[in-house]
Amino acid sequence: MAKRVMIADDSEFMRNLLREILEDDFEIVGEAENGVEAVNLYEEANPDIAMMDIVMPIRSGIEATNEITNNDPDAKVIMCTSVGQEEKMKQAIKAGASGYITKPFQKPNVLNEINDVIPA
Amino acid sequence: MKVDIRELGQFNHLASEGAKQAAKSLSTLAGIEMDVAVTDVSLVTESVLAETFAERSFVGVELGLQGGLEGETVLALERERALILQELLLDATDTDYSSEGSTLAKSSVTELGNIMIGGFIDGWANHLDTAINMTPPRYTEANGPRILPNQAIEAAKNHGVFLFESKLSGMDVDLDFSLYMLPEYRQFVQLLSGNDQGNQIPVNRLSTFEELAKEGAGNAAGQIGMMTGLDTNVDVSRLRFVPLSGVPKQVGNDQFVGVVFELTGLPSGYLVVLFDEKSAITIANAMMPGDSTEDEIGSMTEGAIKELGNIMTSGFIDGWANVLQTSIEHSPPNFVHDMGESIMSPVVGKLGQQQDYAFVIDSTIEIDGNEGQCDIYALPNERELARALSALPAQD
Repeated sequence: MAKRVMIADDSEFMRNLLREILEDDFEIVGEAENGVEAVNLYEEANPDIAMMDIVMPIRSGIEATNEITNNDPDAKVIMCTSVGQEEKMKQAIKAGASGYITKPFQKPNVLNEINDVIPA
Repeated sequence: MKVDIRELGQFNHLASEGAKQAAKSLSTLAGIEMDVAVTDVSLVTESVLAETFAERSFVGVELGLQGGLEGETVLALERERALILQELLLDATDTDYSSEGSTLAKSSVTELGNIMIGGFIDGWANHLDTAINMTPPRYTEANGPRILPNQAIEAAKNHGVFLFESKLSGMDVDLDFSLYMLPEYRQFVQLLSGNDQGNQIPVNRLSTFEELAKEGAGNAAGQIGMMTGLDTNVDVSRLRFVPLSGVPKQVGNDQFVGVVFELTGLPSGYLVVLFDEKSAITIANAMMPGDSTEDEIGSMTEGAIKELGNIMTSGFIDGWANVLQTSIEHSPPNFVHDMGESIMSPVVGKLGQQQDYAFVIDSTIEIDGNEGQCDIYALPNERELARALSALPAQD
C-alpha cells in the first residue's frame, strides 16, 4: 500500500511540482496553503508524512510542525525550504522536523529524504 | 554613520554567492544554465534609482525580513524576462497553464524569487550568525522605480539606499537579466560599520563622491560636445563597489577604442575612457580640421581620442582634487584599441596587487542621440579614497 503524504506550501507552483514528483509513488492526501491549514489537514488525514514549507502565511511551517509533533510525537515532517540558514534548521529540528530538503529540489532528492525518514 | 570597506566587500561577496545560488536554482528548476557575470553594490540616490529603472516594466517579488536583518526587500526583473522565465519554469515541470497571467504562472516566478532571495539571505544570516526570518513572498508588477518598496524610495530621497545588482546571463539560452536587491538602509549601514578606522568612510561622503562623479561625467560630456559640435548627454553615472575580478567581464567583449590614464596623488588609481569603434571615428572626424576624415581607426583617430581623453580626464579629476582638497596628477594617455576585457584586465591586474574590491565610477555618455556612446571607468585606490573622504570636514 502506498504511503500517504500531505503537502503544505503557500506556492501553487511548488505544490504542483511536489505533487508531480510524488504522485506516482505515494498517495497525496491533501494540500495546505498555510500553517493553520497544515495542522488541520494533518489532524483530518493523519498522513504518514508531511512535506512542510517553512515560510508560509498566517502560521509558519516551523510553528505548524511544532503543533503537529506536540499532538502526535510520532509525526514525520520533512521541511521543504528555500531557507538554508543554520539557525532556521536548528529551529525546525527543535520543532520536531524529521528531515529537510532545500528548494529547488529534484525527484531523487525528495524520494531519498522520504526514504530516510520512513524506510519502505 | 560609517561603513567599513572590508565589510562592504564581505557583503558584496555574500551577495555574489547568493546570486550564484540563485543561478543554480534557476538551472535546477528551469533546466537552463546561467552564469553570474558580476555582482556590484552601490549607494544610490533617488535620481539614480529613477535612471536605473526608467521606462521599463518590472515584475517584483517582495518580502519582509525580520530578526538579524530587518526591512523590506525586493527582487526585480524586467517583465519580458519574467515572462520568458515563467514559460521555461512551467514547461520544465510539464505544467498545464492557460495564460501568462494565470495565478500559477505568477506563482512560478514568485517561488523562483523566493528561492533566489533565500540564497542571498542565507549567506548573510550565516555570516551574522543569526536567523533572518522571511515573510511569505508577494508578487508585484509596476513600471519604473515604483516596483521598489516605498521605504526604499524614501531612503533614496533622504540619504540614499544600497542597491545590489547581479547580472545573470544564459549559457545555452538567450536570456540576460539583472536581479536587484535592496536591504533596509539603516540596519544595513550598522552591519557595515566594522571597527577598523583605516577602512571606514562616513556613509554620507559616498553620496558626496557620487555627486562628484556625476559632475565629472557632466564636464566630460560638455568637453566632447565643445570639441566635436555633437550633442552629448550623461545617460547613467553610478558609483559601484565591485570585485576587481568582475570589472573586465562587466566591460564585455565588444571592441573599444580609448585611452587609459594612471592617476597619482590622493587617491591614486586609473581612469579609462572608452568609445565604441563607430563613435570613435565619428568623434575623430568631427574634431578634424577641414575635410580630412578617416573611415577606419588610424593615426588621426588615435591622436584625436588621445587629445579628447586628456581633456576629459582633467575635467573629471580636477573636481575630485578640489573637493577632496588633494592633488591628483594623471599620466600621458595610453591609447588602446581592443576588446573591453583585454583593455581592463591589465588595469585591474595592477590595482589588484593592493585590493580585491574597488569603487568604480561608471559613467555612460550618449553622443549624438543614440548614435554613439562613451564609457568612463574611474578606479581609485580604495584605501586612499577612504582616507581622503574621511579627511573631509564634517557636513552635518
